[in-house]
Amino acid sequence: MIDHKPKIILFQCQWCLYSAEDQTWVDTQLPVNIHLVKVPCTGRINTLYVLNAVQGGADGVMISGCLPEQCHFKEGNLGARRQLDQFADFLDHIGYERNRVRFTWLDLQDRGRIQRDLAQFEADLTKMPKSEALATRVGGHHD
Amino acid sequence: MVDAARQPLIEVKTFTEVEKVEGFVGNFKVTLREKSKYVRADRCNGCGACTKACPIEVPNYFEMNLAPRKAAYVPMSQSVPLIYNIDMDACIHCYKCVEACGALEAIDFSMTDKIVEEEIGAIVVATGFSHFDPSVMSEYGYGRFPNVITSMEMERLNNSAGPTHGALVRPSDGKPPKNIAFINCVGSRDKRYNPSCSNFCCMYSIKNAILVKQMHPGTDVTIYYIDIRTPSKGYEEFYDRAREMGIKFVQGRPSEITEDSETHQLFITGEDITLGKVVEREFDMVMLNQAAIPQPDQNQMSSVLSVAQSPGGWFMEYHPKLRPMDSPTDGIFFAGACQGPKDIPASVAQGSAAAARASRILHSDEWHIEPTVAVVWPDRCVSAQDKSCGICSRACPYSAIDYTQGKAAEVITAKCHGCGACVGECPHDSITQLHYTDAEILAQIRTLLATEPEKKILALRCHWCSYGGADLAGTSHFEYSANERGIKVMCSARMDADFIYEAYRLGAGAVLFSGCHPQDCHYITGQVSGSKRANRLKTIFERMGMSPGRFRIEWISAAEGDKYARVINEMQATLDAIPPEALKEEIERLRPEMARKLTRLPNIPGVQQALDQTDEIIQLMTELHMEKV
Amino acid sequence: MSAPTDTNLLSERVKALPGGEFLMMCYSCGTCTSKCMIQPKLDPNYNPRRLIREAVFEMEAEAFADTTTWLCSACDLCYPACPQKIHISGVINAVKALAVEQGWKNPNPSAVVDIFTCVACGMCVEVCPYQAVSLVETKVAGRGLIPVATVDPGKCMACGMCSAACRSTSISLPTRHHDKEIIADLWAFLAEEAA
Repeated sequence: MIDHKPKIILFQCQWCLYSAEDQTWVDTQLPVNIHLVKVPCTGRINTLYVLNAVQGGADGVMISGCLPEQCHFKEGNLGARRQLDQFADFLDHIGYERNRVRFTWLDLQDRGRIQRDLAQFEADLTKMPKSEALATRVGGHHD
Repeated sequence: MVDAARQPLIEVKTFTEVEKVEGFVGNFKVTLREKSKYVRADRCNGCGACTKACPIEVPNYFEMNLAPRKAAYVPMSQSVPLIYNIDMDACIHCYKCVEACGALEAIDFSMTDKIVEEEIGAIVVATGFSHFDPSVMSEYGYGRFPNVITSMEMERLNNSAGPTHGALVRPSDGKPPKNIAFINCVGSRDKRYNPSCSNFCCMYSIKNAILVKQMHPGTDVTIYYIDIRTPSKGYEEFYDRAREMGIKFVQGRPSEITEDSETHQLFITGEDITLGKVVEREFDMVMLNQAAIPQPDQNQMSSVLSVAQSPGGWFMEYHPKLRPMDSPTDGIFFAGACQGPKDIPASVAQGSAAAARASRILHSDEWHIEPTVAVVWPDRCVSAQDKSCGICSRACPYSAIDYTQGKAAEVITAKCHGCGACVGECPHDSITQLHYTDAEILAQIRTLLATEPEKKILALRCHWCSYGGADLAGTSHFEYSANERGIKVMCSARMDADFIYEAYRLGAGAVLFSGCHPQDCHYITGQVSGSKRANRLKTIFERMGMSPGRFRIEWISAAEGDKYARVINEMQATLDAIPPEALKEEIERLRPEMARKLTRLPNIPGVQQALDQTDEIIQLMTELHMEKV
Repeated sequence: MSAPTDTNLLSERVKALPGGEFLMMCYSCGTCTSKCMIQPKLDPNYNPRRLIREAVFEMEAEAFADTTTWLCSACDLCYPACPQKIHISGVINAVKALAVEQGWKNPNPSAVVDIFTCVACGMCVEVCPYQAVSLVETKVAGRGLIPVATVDPGKCMACGMCSAACRSTSISLPTRHHDKEIIADLWAFLAEEAA
């Protein structure tokens, strides 16, 4: 159990939120413990980003993208799924639990789901100990 | 309906299915299945005590499943005749209804379906239409979002006799909606589902919008449309009235409906074409105006009645402009939307016309039919010689030929529609078609190919489509090669292989085999027989080594005059591309092969005589012509 | 008879290209425009319906200059939604191909390769959804004539798949989606939280 809010990095594909309302919420009303990294496509998310987030001490990483067949760049989400899913398995292997990396693939009609999924993720992370196993330079600076 | 039931000469049979239709105009024998209601019509007085006693509730189809009904029920309060009915699929056999019925003893669980045969003079088909199920269009969320409803559900919700007694409420929370959107063309004008326009929905959605406004003045109504079609008298004024009342119209087909999963509010995303901008608007409730589609059992009905279907599945009329209420089968008429979606005035007009047409038959002792019927030469029919055949009977789209091995095939003249499919198919030339006999057509071919046949393009055209197409090409002054020579038969099914062999034997440069598009055939499946034969011939000619393009198969509708002209010009170009010497050599080489296929020809009654006379006339004409020159 | 068609017309050239066949079937219902995410997310001026009309009415200059021509990423959300079964991205791609043929340049940014670190492993070529990356023999100062990844700006849609797949961090997107910027931003947030 952690006594303060878990730090979450949200990688959001800039196309996956169909409703303008959801996008506005993510852009302007995210809780302070959640940090938004907007990318052109989940396919853009380099494993390095996730690794840096983990090293920096993030308690959880959420990746929100489009459902298959709905990718703005034809198949970027499929590439991301292949690459990042495998990387999450690897992180699990070295001590960063598998359920700290979560994917949410959103359908066009999943209005409001991003808020619910984030809340659920936060609740799940709160039940887990703080993630420090792989944090290399907590509070330090990356050069 | 009540008036109809009271009229002594009208018998109303509800809950009855037509199983079989035999016979012909004036003499139909119709087999009906009177389904068992488990309530005796002669005893039930419509009191409804059984319904009150029945403990079982099932969704009420008439109320679009928005309300329940009992297993003992009448479909609706205005049912005619007012006889109750036990739904055996739902009944638990508690017999409470029997108790409630008491001394009347109208309920009879031992009833079974009754098969009845009726002698009928004329049939009017008025089976109506069905609705497209919008749940297959996931983008509109029907079935998943409770506040997305169909037009029929709106109809019931907004009806004072409906499940809510006229209170317009949102299915999700029972609260009255403050702003409603209607979406038109859901499943119609859509090549993914039904490419055609459903005809009445524009007016229908305007009507519903006005009704909502009248009954619930505070409600905002917005109609999304692709085009608003108000073509009949008073319709445009009705549209004006709707705008005056404050109903908003948005041009642009919405692409997506999304829902707030907690409040069940709906959001329509659509381009407002006039603004050129994508606008998301919020609504309390959305009504989808579904497409009109043929009844689910329309195909079955079409084979029971032996009537063709148009593209899209509607029953096909005799002529789309001149005889829209007649089926191609004498004595069968159409009224209303079974022939194509139409609104009330048009249905009433068609129904009256059909009734008038039917009464003409009932008042006549004799009936005139088309003279182009098929006739069998009994002495030539191999079945009479006890050989197994029946090809003609199988070829007939109307089952108008009686075939029993050992007896010559017999055409039931009143059922014959004169397509000539049997004649084209008969391998023994034992059947012919009046006014389109082999002798007549072969004589035409001989005349048309009398001089310089190698330069000629012989076009076989069917009466309903490609002949009309050629005619249109002429009246529209579309220029095409003057070497074309046309022959009309009733259907491509009549285009005998012999005609084409004979044309090539005479040295024809090219032959066009043309008819209706498959879905347009006037004779149900005539085009299919024709097309099969044409493709078989094509293979034969390819094997013979005929230059490609000298035999061409094209389906040309009566509206495609430009296509007819183009096809002929293309054929001319193909012919021009073959060096004359090579063409002559090819014709000479194939002539004996063609002749071999035609050895039976002179035995067909009348053919030799007709050809001899034709030769004589050609001879005479040629001499006359030479004298002039 | 119908007049012979002028093959120089924009509409005829679009129809002749794969995907452009059903151009004339559009009845301007606007479904494609509202299905598309680009208008609300990237460019309010984006409108595939308008582009189709420009092609139908032979407005060549307008069509080539239209942002729609260059921003469509062929995600094909609109294709299954189109009631006329028009392959809209096919039409747009046809217009784009004709524009490129006439020397028009893609105004949008594209991926940038660091030719000094590229090892020509070909991962980027594999993952690119637009076949915009290829390995080309290039003269690189200090490394000689070697194959390096090369991006065709006429095809690149700047999705960043190549960059995510690159094992030597030699490909990146310019400006706001650059690797270094994203990582620095991550660290800044995590540090601030801990403090």
